[in-house]
Amino acid sequence: MTYALLITAFVISTCGLVYELIAGTVASYLLGDSVTQFSTVIGVYLFSMGIGSFLSKYIKKNLVLTFIRVELLVGAVGGSSAALLFLLFNQVESFRVLLYCIVAVIGILIGLEIPLLMRILKERLDFTELVSKVFTFDYVGALIASLLFPLVLVPHLGLVRSSFLFGLLNTMVAVWTIRLFKSELPWLSLLYSFAIAVAGVLVCGFVFSEQLTSWAESTAYPDPIILSTSTPYQRILITNSGKDIRLFLNGNLQFSSRDEYRYHEALVHPVTAAMHSLHNVLVLGGGDGMAVRELLKYPSIKSIVLVDLDRKMTNMFKEQALLSRLNNRSLSASRVSIITDDAFVWLRRCTQRFDLAIVDFPDPSNFSLGKLYSQTFYKTLKTVLNRDGAVVVQSTSPYYAKNSYWCVVDTLKSAGFQTLPYHAYVPSFGDWGYVIGTLSTFTPASQYPPGLRYVNSATFAQMLTFAPDMLPTTHVVNRLNNQALVHLFESEWGEYAEAH
Amino acid sequence: MPKRIDRSTFLKGAIGCAAAVVSAEISYRWLRQPEPIPGQLRGPSVALGHRLRDGELADIPVESEPLRSTVVIVGGGIAGLSAAWWLDKQGCSDYVLLELEDEVGGNSCSGANSISKYPWGAHYVPLANSESRYVHMLFEELRIIQGHNSSGLPVYNELYLCHEPQERLFKDGAFQEGMVPRRGLQGEDKKQIARFFEIIKSFRQATGADGKPAFAIPLDLSSGDEQWIQLDNLSFSQWLQDNKFDAKPLFWYLNYCCRDDYGSTIERVSAWAGLHYFAGRRGVAANAELNSVVTWPEGNGFLVEKLKEQANGRVIASAAVTKIETVDGGAVITYFDSKTNRQHVVNSKYVIFATPRFLAPHIIAGYSAEAAHHPCYAPWMVANIIIKHIPASGTVSLCWDNVSYTSKSLGYVVANHQDITTREGEKVVTYYYPLSDEDPVAARRRLLSMSGHKWSEFIVEDLTSMHPGIDSEILSIEFCPWGHGMVSPTVGFIWGQGRSSMKKNYGNIFFANSDMSGMSNFEEAQYQGITAASNVLEQLTTT
Ligand SMILES: Cc1cc2nc3c(=O)[nH]c(=O)nc-3n(C[C@H](O)[C@H](O)[C@H](O)COP(=O)(O)OP(=O)(O)OC[C@H]3O[C@@H](n4cnc5c(N)ncnc54)[C@H](O)[C@@H]3O)c2cc1C
Repeated sequence: MTYALLITAFVISTCGLVYELIAGTVASYLLGDSVTQFSTVIGVYLFSMGIGSFLSKYIKKNLVLTFIRVELLVGAVGGSSAALLFLLFNQVESFRVLLYCIVAVIGILIGLEIPLLMRILKERLDFTELVSKVFTFDYVGALIASLLFPLVLVPHLGLVRSSFLFGLLNTMVAVWTIRLFKSELPWLSLLYSFAIAVAGVLVCGFVFSEQLTSWAESTAYPDPIILSTSTPYQRILITNSGKDIRLFLNGNLQFSSRDEYRYHEALVHPVTAAMHSLHNVLVLGGGDGMAVRELLKYPSIKSIVLVDLDRKMTNMFKEQALLSRLNNRSLSASRVSIITDDAFVWLRRCTQRFDLAIVDFPDPSNFSLGKLYSQTFYKTLKTVLNRDGAVVVQSTSPYYAKNSYWCVVDTLKSAGFQTLPYHAYVPSFGDWGYVIGTLSTFTPASQYPPGLRYVNSATFAQMLTFAPDMLPTTHVVNRLNNQALVHLFESEWGEYAEAH
Repeated sequence: MPKRIDRSTFLKGAIGCAAAVVSAEISYRWLRQPEPIPGQLRGPSVALGHRLRDGELADIPVESEPLRSTVVIVGGGIAGLSAAWWLDKQGCSDYVLLELEDEVGGNSCSGANSISKYPWGAHYVPLANSESRYVHMLFEELRIIQGHNSSGLPVYNELYLCHEPQERLFKDGAFQEGMVPRRGLQGEDKKQIARFFEIIKSFRQATGADGKPAFAIPLDLSSGDEQWIQLDNLSFSQWLQDNKFDAKPLFWYLNYCCRDDYGSTIERVSAWAGLHYFAGRRGVAANAELNSVVTWPEGNGFLVEKLKEQANGRVIASAAVTKIETVDGGAVITYFDSKTNRQHVVNSKYVIFATPRFLAPHIIAGYSAEAAHHPCYAPWMVANIIIKHIPASGTVSLCWDNVSYTSKSLGYVVANHQDITTREGEKVVTYYYPLSDEDPVAARRRLLSMSGHKWSEFIVEDLTSMHPGIDSEILSIEFCPWGHGMVSPTVGFIWGQGRSSMKKNYGNIFFANSDMSGMSNFEEAQYQGITAASNVLEQLTTT
């Protein structure tokens, strides 16, 4: 029995260290800066072990029973720790609090175990032997864990499954201990069923770890996901609550079918209705076909060229009934031609000329998207416009990211456009900004196509005023070699995301 | 149940566990059997070079009628191509340029794969200084400079200015933005770094009694004042010591810069050269910050291609010049066509000899090895690597230039950084490693004797220390060992006797290569090429 209990010490310490390494690695993956993450995780873990050891003195009787309970708890919490951390990363306000809580709980439990084990073994070994043996097994276990983790577990099993596996090991130790002491223990069957329940959960977790991670994604969305697919360029995800269809690209909301008409009417009509000569129109981005739907309301337009990066996206919105209903089958209209290419690359090669360009790119949240808002991009865009041509650019929120918004305005101006900034209220987005750029003087339209639900002369007049809290505090031109917009955008939306 | 385990049982157990782990690891390795990463060695025709050196090519008989040309340019690196550019500009179009390799470019040559073009050597040029007249001329001609703003500052084409984010440094387990160390610094380190840059600021503006800038680009336009020139007689590290600098991070940074630009360490390069790196760059632009650079996916291969276009029709590639004899009123140049294995002869009035000088004694009849004044050349290993995906590391995004504080290499430059696509596809990265740890001769031997397999292992291990797990993302590696990569500005070379006698012509042969500057970069190579061309043109008009 002594031997068996010492093996237990070995398993416990291996498991303990593995949980600690898993927490450190997950934190490094999710938060970056491995030095900070590992130091803090190890610190919290060791400190919690101290607390556990301290608390162990208050356990006066039922040593074996407590030991088994602790073991089962370690198995449950430690075993599911990696999965919990990944699952809850999107959900909780402060991931760090959760991380250190989990590490602390495991630390305290492990800290309890070794003193308990020593007290159980006290009657069987003399003190010198006891201390030497238990700690030897404890430290050998630590060595094995530290070798297993990087060499076998992470490359072979991955973090989530490794953690479930070690949870199972803890549970097995508990079962073994129950068997060893079955003559001394009360509520045997209850203990067994507890152990089986924990083991069951862990086995399920181990087997379904893939599904777990994809489920983790779905919990980030309030409505049922009807479609999710990864293309080489982005992750496309569509949810449908019955009344409301929403499109997310890389986790960012692109539209809600309830109020997208506001967004797209405001994007397209103020500039389009004001054009004197309007035959050829270019749409950059906007593979959902909604902007094209609005453009098709102008009979004078002879051709619309839509350039989008992602063929999968334009195909979906062309062919899937649910989605093509949203854009009135605009992508199948004979006046529309779809080109799958990189907007910037395509523009530099383009020899056609257009009266109007609608620029509807995702927000400048990374450096490659930031290039599509640069002065060089707008200068290139200018070369494909006719002399009286115009552009309109979706340009993020002047409320949440006012300096980013005005940076787009300034950049367009610096590329030689006369600019007209305006903004509209789209409930699912908040206050949203656009800017019209023209090569000659702009006079707002006196007439709009029939059937619009949001834009008319009166509402557009309102869109032109900006409240003081939407005015910029700095002015800077976004260039390829400074990516000023991405830096502004990160800091402004970052602030908002933290406060949220 | 045994009451206690004895020592041997315990030991057996422990050994058993250890053995289990080790065998698991071995069988894991075996199961995974890492596919050897496709590696390929390319490079300057080393073998051909050696045959040339050993005089083996000289015996092949000449078969065709000799060609005739006013000027023959030997070597199509930046110096040779710039000489051609200048001759054309001044109305002398009767020249041929003979290049050993199948493509011109020399140290600025480049390659291409399905993902991107990429450099094999030189990859950027800093903003041009106001005194760098020829660089301005070329940049305006190629529309790299598109015009000037109202205060006369050049407006650069922003597609060519290095895009943001530019540089990051891996130090103490994470990346920081920028190359000057900021993570883990002591107060004293910070003070010294600030003090160093204060000194540089004043050196940038400093002039000698002759009114010339203390540090100019090209360096021959620098002040000849003793006050500045004497800095060439001590090593950069000595100067740092004399000026009470000892902060490790500062030393790391300066050593990194010297290895990056000169292929050599602060102990070997002169203080004048070390300071020139920082104080020499004064280029400004209307639309970029001080210290910005222009770069292309193919690096300076972009400039090579443009220069080659204008020399169109007069470039003969795969032509190894084996012998040059000076004769009355001209020279006879023999070259070996490595495509057809034939020798040809060109008779010319003048020769512009634009290869590194150490080759001259092997090629020019009667030119002694002493006259070559052997400068010191640094060996380099350059590799181009296709990577499926570079793992994200913390919050600092992938940059153009990515360097590790602890690595012996200079890290890697992302060739397709300048792409304007939003597609996040494979990356082509150029890995730079100057073998500056040991003396150049021993290093050159190591460079050429290590197998491609060994190099590939070395590089993957190095990259892994920055990016754990990157080995499984690597699709291919190609190598280019540069035995005589670039000239190093060792102590006393730039302003010493050796270099000034390298500038002398040998009969009708004029020399042009960046090694005549003592430091190798685009501006110096171009300046040397144009200077040689001007000397030839001057001779042509006087005779
Ligand atoms: C790894 C590396 C990185 C570099 N990075 C940069 C950088 O980023 N920016 C920068 O400005 N500079 C850089 N340089 C410096 C570079 O050397 C110069 O920019 C420039 O390319 C030097 O040109 P060159 O004409 O003086 O010499 P070379 O490029 O050496 O030209 C000599 C030419 O002569 C040819 N040749 C040799 N023998 C014969 C023969 N017998 N017959 C005919 N032809 C012959 C060679 O093939 C070659 O084309 C780098 C150099 C190296 C090695």
